Amino acid sequence: MEKKRVSDEFEPGPLPPTRPLDRFGFVKQEQSFSPEGLTKSRSAYEREREERRVRKWRKMIGVGGSDWKHYVRRKPHVVKRRIRKGIPDCLRGLVWQLISGSRDLLLMNPGVYEQLVIYETSASELDIIRDISRTFPSHVFFQQRHGPGQRSLYNVLKAYSVYDRDVGYVQGMGFLAGLLLLYMSEEDAFWLLVALLKGAVHAPMEGLYQVGLPLVQQYLSQFEQLVKENLPKLGDHFLREMINPSMYASQWFITVFSYSFPFHLALRIWDVFLYEGVKIVFKVGLALLRYCEDDLIKLPFEKLIHALRNFPEDAMNPDTLLPMAYSVKVSRRLQVLKQEYEKRDNESPHASESSEKQVQTVTLKPHNLRR
Amino acid sequence: MARRLDEEYDYLFKVVLIGDSGVGKSNLLSRFTRNEFCLESKSTIGVEFATRTLQVEGKTIKAQIWDTAGQERYRAITSAYYRGALGALLVYDVTKPTTFENVSRWLKELRDHADSNIVIMLIGNKTDLKHLRAVATEDAQSYAEKEGLSFIETSALEAINVEKAFQMILAEIYRIISKKTLSSEEPAATSIKEGKTILVSGDANTKKTCCST
Repeated sequence: MEKKRVSDEFEPGPLPPTRPLDRFGFVKQEQSFSPEGLTKSRSAYEREREERRVRKWRKMIGVGGSDWKHYVRRKPHVVKRRIRKGIPDCLRGLVWQLISGSRDLLLMNPGVYEQLVIYETSASELDIIRDISRTFPSHVFFQQRHGPGQRSLYNVLKAYSVYDRDVGYVQGMGFLAGLLLLYMSEEDAFWLLVALLKGAVHAPMEGLYQVGLPLVQQYLSQFEQLVKENLPKLGDHFLREMINPSMYASQWFITVFSYSFPFHLALRIWDVFLYEGVKIVFKVGLALLRYCEDDLIKLPFEKLIHALRNFPEDAMNPDTLLPMAYSVKVSRRLQVLKQEYEKRDNESPHASESSEKQVQTVTLKPHNLRR
Repeated sequence: MARRLDEEYDYLFKVVLIGDSGVGKSNLLSRFTRNEFCLESKSTIGVEFATRTLQVEGKTIKAQIWDTAGQERYRAITSAYYRGALGALLVYDVTKPTTFENVSRWLKELRDHADSNIVIMLIGNKTDLKHLRAVATEDAQSYAEKEGLSFIETSALEAINVEKAFQMILAEIYRIISKKTLSSEEPAATSIKEGKTILVSGDANTKKTCCST
């Protein structure tokens, strides 16, 4: 004990956990942080089940991911089902890179990340620095000033702001990068960020961060409509109380639930998000509202806003919330609503402005990645 | 800090907190509404919201405060919240000159998106960082006078002048509202919850509420 304390003073390693941490490395809140974080020792049965699950996953992935593509092509529905049940935490980093397409980007672009970090300068450097200590401030990895966590976070964000100077750095991106850095190296996290924003597998997310935040506006509009359709009573109540989704759901989309949701839930959502795309954000949002509908419908404006930003713990249990989310069907409606939104947007007097906002979308081809 | 029952108030005033990222808007809000300060606070994404009811010039006023993300790009979302606001607290950081230089851009933003009669107060925050001060009080004071803003310096961390800042802006809004209603011009302003009935005391001076539209 004594020895450890002495060595900690001289080594620049992570701070000694003076406050108790949960199993993901977040400082525990006074009462409880997450139900999973609280369980001190899991039963032998659960451990065994977890080990079986990991073995199954390892077999599916192959050594270093060698069998993955083959498996996905042969049994996409099995992969989807297993991912929906949650990727084993010890394999998360690797699987995320495989399903997001970021591993391919990395292999196609050797040396590019290093170039971006070391030799380029970014106009966003000061903005990034200002937010570094304000990103996951309660996680042990990011707490130490200028520590390895903060340095990696800075590097990834700076590299991205150089890589796509139109997007640069926007608040919220740090939570994506931060979450990724808890599961992979800097370079891997960078390419996963690229894969998401440029759309390696799914629709590009960069519109969430471009000037005018066009995709945030679109998603919020689609979400509002889906609430009306799926939860008409609550939709009416929101209308009467003048609640719109920008008051509570912007962060859901901008950070894919990583900003303020319990971490174990955010991870489970990310598993599905990376494989199935942004529709899971809509589904989870709708499931949360449905779960709490009976309470929400009674609340007046101010209490409603508060409730929409502080969902009860039982609502955020992944094992009840996610099955509910999976049962909400949104794909087709999202398509139609998107077309309607685009039509409205083009007809509105701001149309010229917003088409300007949609700067040229860089397609994901290797030559664009090399600078 | 004692809060009154929810709906017991004479006036409901909507106020927005704006200013560059990192100047301490969220902590000013939490200090005012919950008497809390968080050293490990996250950057605000989008908008946050809080209320507090307090006594101003003998009236019970409920302040409904919208805290906005400071980064320029977020104005695409946040500027919608200026509409209907009766007051704006425009915050800069006394240790960061650029946040003071950007005040003029924020004023333009308000002129473009807010009601023309909005009451604006300039706030220099973080006075606790005395050794790092880089914006002189006199400079900000004379700028505020030139632009017709009220001005105060605060420390959300040390809880200095935070209460006073909110008191001042709410009192100023109240004075304007009561004058406006007396001279029976167009209804002075609305709150975000248009159409909601606001309880008005029997005071003869305030026959109309500010929020009657």
